Amino acid sequence: MAAAAGNGTPREEEGPSGEAAAPPPQAPTSAPGARLSRLPLARVKALVKADPDVTLAGQEAIFILARAAELFVETIAKDAYCCAQQGKRKTLQRRDLDNAIEAVDEFAFLEGTLD
Amino acid sequence: MAERPEDLNLPNAVITRIIKEALPDGVNISKEARSAISRAASVFVLYATSCANNFAMKGKRKTLNASDVLSAMEEMEFQRFVTPLKEALEAYRREQKGKKEASEQKKKDKDKKTDSEEQDKSREEDNDEDEERLDEEEQNEEEELDN
Repeated sequence: MAAAAGNGTPREEEGPSGEAAAPPPQAPTSAPGARLSRLPLARVKALVKADPDVTLAGQEAIFILARAAELFVETIAKDAYCCAQQGKRKTLQRRDLDNAIEAVDEFAFLEGTLD
Repeated sequence: MAERPEDLNLPNAVITRIIKEALPDGVNISKEARSAISRAASVFVLYATSCANNFAMKGKRKTLNASDVLSAMEEMEFQRFVTPLKEALEAYRREQKGKKEASEQKKKDKDKKTDSEEQDKSREEDNDEDEERLDEEEQNEEEELDN
């Protein structure tokens, strides 16, 4: 007579709870020592998991990817800003980004992906 | 799931903050530009993951590690990221080591206090954290990724 009626998440059994063992992936941004990565590692991990060819990824790899993504955002923002400056505007527009993507070789992988 | 990988966006608030800190004061960013940058960052992660995975496969490993990602950066012509990433990795490793030592200290204290009954229970939990090698962290990843 197992209590199967209702919500169906059978967590009533006592067993080793996996939650206690897994360290939380997100570092609080308020602590000064933990400001290693602002992007939540859980979201980065979700992106990595989306690749069907990837089997496993270590924590360090996820962390570096998060940090690399931050560096990438900084880089592309600055490059796009150069274009806006030429137009004497103080607001970055979508077209500034498109120009930067066309102008900078390293951003070639982005072509066609942002539409 | 019918979600495309590009739909997995990174949090807007964080992206906005990173952009604002990279740009001079007084410069704004339109919503469209910000959301495009956010999507670009997701595409970047996907592309970097794929490149890194190639390196892992070349090394006949199933687990992506930090050096795979660094190699991917060079492959993608983002060499300028390599040095700051290496520094960040050092700091991250130090922090992780500090955390591990702290939790091991807690374990020692726990073992001293508890009775033998509880020792059995905590041994089951501690099995996950017991090993010192980094492989253990990857095994944890394994449990989570297989879901």
